[in-house]
Amino acid sequence: MSGTDETPKVVFVGLASCFGCQINITNVEKHLMDVLGQVDMRYWQLTSSDPMPDSFDVAVIEGAVTTEEAKRTVRALREGADAVITIGACAATSGIPGMSTEDHAADLAAVYGEQVPDAAGAGAIAPCAVKDVIEVDFEVPCCPIDPYDFVEVLQHALYGSNIYRRSSTLCGECKNNERGCFYGRETLCLGLVTRSGCGARCPNLGRPCNGCAGLSPDANVPQARRVAERAGVGAEALGRALRMFNQRPCADEEA
Amino acid sequence: MLYRVMDASELPRLIDAFMEKYEVVAPVKSGRSFAFEPVSSFDEIVLDYPTTLTSLKKYILPPRETLFEFNVEDADVTDYTLRIRPRVLFGAHACDINALNNLDLVFEDARYPDPYYEAHRAATMVVGINCSPAGSCFCHLLDADEVRSGYDLFLQDLGGRYLVSIGSVEAANILEAACDLREATDEDRREFRRLTRERQEAFSNDIPDIQEIPMLMDAFHKDAFWAELGERCLSCTACSAVCPTCYCFDIADVLDPDGKTGRRERILDACTSPQFALVTGGHNFRETARDRVRHRMYHKLNGFNSKHGRYLCVGCGRCVRACKADISPIEVLRFFERKGAEDA
Ligand code: SF4
Ligand code: SF4
Ligand code: SF4
Ligand code: SF4
Ligand code: SF4
Repeated sequence: MSGTDETPKVVFVGLASCFGCQINITNVEKHLMDVLGQVDMRYWQLTSSDPMPDSFDVAVIEGAVTTEEAKRTVRALREGADAVITIGACAATSGIPGMSTEDHAADLAAVYGEQVPDAAGAGAIAPCAVKDVIEVDFEVPCCPIDPYDFVEVLQHALYGSNIYRRSSTLCGECKNNERGCFYGRETLCLGLVTRSGCGARCPNLGRPCNGCAGLSPDANVPQARRVAERAGVGAEALGRALRMFNQRPCADEEA
Repeated sequence: MLYRVMDASELPRLIDAFMEKYEVVAPVKSGRSFAFEPVSSFDEIVLDYPTTLTSLKKYILPPRETLFEFNVEDADVTDYTLRIRPRVLFGAHACDINALNNLDLVFEDARYPDPYYEAHRAATMVVGINCSPAGSCFCHLLDADEVRSGYDLFLQDLGGRYLVSIGSVEAANILEAACDLREATDEDRREFRRLTRERQEAFSNDIPDIQEIPMLMDAFHKDAFWAELGERCLSCTACSAVCPTCYCFDIADVLDPDGKTGRRERILDACTSPQFALVTGGHNFRETARDRVRHRMYHKLNGFNSKHGRYLCVGCGRCVRACKADISPIEVLRFFERKGAEDA
């Protein structure tokens, strides 16, 4: 894993998350050494408790920003890195940690009473996406990430690429899988507003999309509400489902 | 065109004969709808299927196809052989064969023939079959309900027997070797004409028959109608994915995990995707969903026509069912009907 001076130095940092995306990177299995061979891995929080090095080229961030300290960390990463890559829904949209946004103070009081620890209390902030704090160059979507998507994005950061990430939503990929539509069966699916790219893998396995790739910047939520109403699913159900992975864009949309 | 009559009970033998040398792709039940899939026996095939969810396009123009492989270190293209499976696409409806003929006009253009497309098409036999229109079928309004070329065989069910139009020598040889054939009689021809009329009358009257569609498209290019459609569009690209004649693609160089080798891939794209008309420098020629939906309809009902003299849309009705925003060429025809009523 060591390299020459030109080998790009990479650091991996985990914020509020389950660390599942970092673990999932190892699921490239037989290719793992090939992938790591292209970088000088200076720091991987998952595998070592050494302190973070001062000098690096690429910072990979997993997780949502939920504390002042995390804010400082990502700012320092932005300052030091030529390229910042976020991995997973938590980092991209605040994901699962973002679900607590609505009534954070009341939740804390219910759990800790008066003795709220600093990381959750005075030092805590409403969970937000990494891109709410710093500029992010590349995003690997989904919960968890597809390890091959990570490899593609890492290579994009290292070498450049002509692969363009589209903002069209999922249904085209779903049709390519020869799938009908959940709405024809009075079942909610978030594919119609979720950014494409995952290959509509959940509908292909017979489960509706939960929107883990994030709401497309071109999502047409008003039309999705009409579709949900007409299918007998109800627009409120669609809004509730969106809160699982899409707190942040939902807030944007209301603003 | 050569016509012969064969007994319906002989059809399994024809399929078996094809299977000796070809992969046979045919309509099968798939979930709540139908799909063209490889079959291993005649019994899997649903002969009187309604339109499939997606089209035969996937066998000629796959959603993702490797064009060549390359080596990054030498910056060189490595030897790459496209592996093509000889196939029989069995049970194609008239609209879908017309759709393949439309794709031929694009990819077998004499000046810029596409070697990948040509290789697939050359290794593929097409066997058509008659159909009865579903509620969303409007091929008859766009001159795509009958097919005059582009197939190897076309079967017309006459009840217990098929009138077979023979379009290629290769298919004729297989057919003759596998089945007992006889000449068509006057009675067969009378029955054929009767069934053709019956089918023509079975099309839905709810879809308006509009004359001079390309001209109307030009006349109403700036109408507020397009903004209404754009406001509904989900930018989901389901329409182009299911459409038998949408052929636009993107090119991507995909590296292998070691970063040393890779593949150039052709990935089908769609003009309803927001980045479709985005160019270097950041300008997007079709920034809004209104512009994108309008473009799709223009290509289907106007643009292709001015170049090739026929509609790109073959009226198969797939996008009518796949679009959750009720956007389809049928809506455009209805819009013209309303405009006509207002004028009258
Ligand atoms: S099942 Fe979901 S992804 Fe598939 S077409 Fe329907 S809404 Fe789109
Ligand atoms: S289908 Fe939806 S929930 Fe499943 S991986 Fe794709 S974006 Fe995530
Ligand atoms: S535009 Fe719609 S109706 Fe026309 S050929 Fe395509 S899918 Fe069929
Ligand atoms: S309608 Fe759009 S995607 Fe389809 S062929 Fe035309 S330009 Fe291409
Ligand atoms: S026209 Fe319909 S199917 Fe096509 S992108 Fe828009 S919403 Fe999706």
